[in-house]
Amino acid sequence: MADAAVEALTTFALLVAGGLLTGLVFALVALGLTLVYGVMDVVNFAHGEFLMLAMYATLGLALLGIGPLVGLPLVAAALFLFGIVVYRIFIRRLLAGPPEATVFGTFGLLVLIQGAAQALFSSDYLSVPNRPLQGTLHLGPIALAQSALVEGAGALVLTALVFAFVEYTETGRAMRAVAEDRVAATLMGINVQRINALAFGIGAACVGAAGALLMLSYPVYPTVGSQFALTAFVVVALGGFGSIQGALVAALLVGLLEVLGGFYLSPELKMVPVYLAYLVVVLLRPQGLLGRR
Amino acid sequence: MTPLLEVRGLSKRFGSVRALDGVDFDAAQGELTGLIGPNGAGKSTAFGCIAGAMRPSGGSIRFASQEIAGLAYHRVARLGVGRTYQIVQTFADMTVLESVTTGALLRHPRVADARAHAEELLAFTGLAAKRDRLGRMLTIADKKRLEVARALATEPKLLLLDEVMAGLTPAECRDAVALLRRILERGVTVVMVEHVMEVLMPIAHHVVVIAAGKTIFSGAPAEAVRDPGVVAAYLGPPLEAAS
Amino acid sequence: MSPRPHLIALAAIVVLGLLYAFGSKDAVTLDLVFTLFLYATLGQSWNWISGYAGNISFGHAIFFGCGAYAAALCTNAGLSPWLAVPAGALVAAALALVTGFPTLALRGHYFSIATIAVGALVDTYVRTQGWLGMANGFELPIKNGLGWLQFSDKGPYVALALGLFALVQLATLALERSRLGYYLRALRANHAAAASVGIDERRWKLIAFTSCATFAALAGVLYAQYTLFVDPPSTLALSISIDIALIGVVGGIGTLWGPLVGASVYVLLAKEVALRLGGSGKGYDLVIYGAIICLIAAWRPHGIVGSIIDALRRRRGAADVVSVQNPAEAA
Ligand SMILES: Nc1ncnc2c1ncn2[C@@H]1O[C@H](COP(=O)(O)OP(=O)(O)OP(=O)(O)O)[C@@H](O)[C@H]1O
Ligand SMILES: [Mg+2]
Repeated sequence: MADAAVEALTTFALLVAGGLLTGLVFALVALGLTLVYGVMDVVNFAHGEFLMLAMYATLGLALLGIGPLVGLPLVAAALFLFGIVVYRIFIRRLLAGPPEATVFGTFGLLVLIQGAAQALFSSDYLSVPNRPLQGTLHLGPIALAQSALVEGAGALVLTALVFAFVEYTETGRAMRAVAEDRVAATLMGINVQRINALAFGIGAACVGAAGALLMLSYPVYPTVGSQFALTAFVVVALGGFGSIQGALVAALLVGLLEVLGGFYLSPELKMVPVYLAYLVVVLLRPQGLLGRR
Repeated sequence: MTPLLEVRGLSKRFGSVRALDGVDFDAAQGELTGLIGPNGAGKSTAFGCIAGAMRPSGGSIRFASQEIAGLAYHRVARLGVGRTYQIVQTFADMTVLESVTTGALLRHPRVADARAHAEELLAFTGLAAKRDRLGRMLTIADKKRLEVARALATEPKLLLLDEVMAGLTPAECRDAVALLRRILERGVTVVMVEHVMEVLMPIAHHVVVIAAGKTIFSGAPAEAVRDPGVVAAYLGPPLEAAS
Repeated sequence: MSPRPHLIALAAIVVLGLLYAFGSKDAVTLDLVFTLFLYATLGQSWNWISGYAGNISFGHAIFFGCGAYAAALCTNAGLSPWLAVPAGALVAAALALVTGFPTLALRGHYFSIATIAVGALVDTYVRTQGWLGMANGFELPIKNGLGWLQFSDKGPYVALALGLFALVQLATLALERSRLGYYLRALRANHAAAASVGIDERRWKLIAFTSCATFAALAGVLYAQYTLFVDPPSTLALSISIDIALIGVVGGIGTLWGPLVGASVYVLLAKEVALRLGGSGKGYDLVIYGAIICLIAAWRPHGIVGSIIDALRRRRGAADVVSVQNPAEAA
């Protein structure tokens, strides 16, 4: 009897730990999305495809002998540049059109990148050779995969870095000013185009880093981005579009719900509590958990 | 006769900001009531609460002897309150005729009837020549005029006009005043927010002044400009009081 | 504007389509034409709520699925799939009512994400229900004849798809001239201003949503009878919803002919090119289709038909300005 209770509790603790670690990775992915939304009111539906590109890039480096953790800054930098280029030649044009143009433009980008990945890399599942960190770490009765721990910790550090950048640097302040009121920011002499491009680049760099971390435990294939992106959309909407703190809270919540739902319901149903939570929250608070009206 | 609109103790908070803090005023049937006050006094917020666009935090709004505070926006419109916006809210992708027809559909569910009424109103408001222009292509003056026509199309008993003359040239202002007189002749009761006193003086039957969310004056237009409280609210307190 | 040109165009399409449906023996192109009109119907259905009313949905396939599953269930139970026509439409309408009531007043992306959530929940539900065939779906038994809505060749299917499209097109033409049509466009343009003229957003959007859900269900019935197989990925998955939405956008949202044009681009260009390049699954079709969407979003954001309308209007607008500047007329 008591044994059963202890076991149930241990399982639960294990799940909570796993859920929070997953949530931290979601937070990093969602951070990029919400940053872009906050600054320029664009939901980048190709965000997951950026993640997929980052995972392929990590794989490519690994094949050259550069492991995911060493490769991380390289991949993040590459995605940063990629984001800036995409902004300069494409997103900027979308912003001049009606609001739905950004929705469908980024969707087109999603289709395009996914198709290109399929054409170039085929639909096979590919993993990093000789993955590092395959062991488990024991904390009392709780055993956690080292890779999950490193992913969670890495995501936490990077999220904190981006958050600090937005909160405490001059450029970050400019970004928040643009998010607050584009016209006023322009009048204050802020170059909105530059800030937009920067935000888009940082958003892409977030998934660049997340993609490198995820290669520790996931294979990559052309549609891998979709599942993460879908979760990230829910996270960002749940937290309130544009709210960084909201996205962080929601990411942890979604990570927990997913892991707990996957265990106590069944793996196929793991997203059910997540979607239900989203629907319940927006019905009660149409602007999400921490969103502004 | 009871006034068409009776506002009592109306309050509205936005977080910690008290935009309205006990506003009282009446609008008598068939009259034009001027609502004035310094920037940020709460005039637009009062309109929002009366029209049902925002839910008041407290107080009562009686329209045609019925309590309407907190009623849904579209229900208030249905009861007979029309309004224009200080920052124009036109239907950007609809033509002038379509926009006004949309308003007329409230009382005339058949599109052909609504259209006929809309055409009449376009003639009445002087927009007939621009009937096929898109809302977003109009000048500010025409957008404001379009909002008046659209509101009139719902055949309101009470019309709330929020700074319809702001930004107009003197000639456009004269047109607008003439239009206002014609609206009053139709028997529509008007409450109007207006900054330019010279415009308001000759046409208003009654003036209400609010400052910092409170009613500070209610009476004849000529008295308002002589009232020390009103003058202080506009120009700031006299120097000796401030020190 | 008079509906006459639209009616003439539609009649011409129907006549030509029927001649083709019963004249051609080329199974591959007949299949393309069937898909074209099916998708045009779905795109137009989506256009009601997302184009005219402005609530961009990424969950429209669930209504398509209602029809498809209703047909599959009826046929397997030995009932005529004609019964699935009202049954599927009814279930779709009920689903639209239940899901639309709480979500239709959500703004912008909050609504879109909610439709993704609802779609995923419906998808998951179907995958867990034995009577709905779980994740595997099920086949429909072969029973030829008009009573069983099954035919040995593709001609009649093309004719039915064409008929359904024509019906939905007529309904949309009527919508544009109705109170509902005016109200949806007003709500899309500015919901607050719309409320200020007495428009009850929830009521009118629910009417539109339930109506267009039934159109999608009818398309679903026809689809199931055509392929004789239904499963979640082919009838109600997110990817189908996205295809439907993209068709609406490529053609031009909120326009009468946008869905047909969008479906033509999707079917004839993306699918045809994919066939020429060695079949789909290699990603070339996606690359081309994605590039088309990107180009349209960036350079023709009102879609193909929307851009044509804009251009026509600009021409007329220019003429307008000239006439106002003419002092004789201005006086
Ligand atoms: N949606 C809102 N959220 C927060 N504060 C608001 C909001 N709307 C108005 N306020 C605040 O309420 C106060 C009253 O604003 P309101 O627009 O009603 O003033 P007003 O008298 O119409 O001013 P003006 O002459 O400039 O139009 C102001 O301090 C304003 O900043
Ligand atoms: Mg104001």
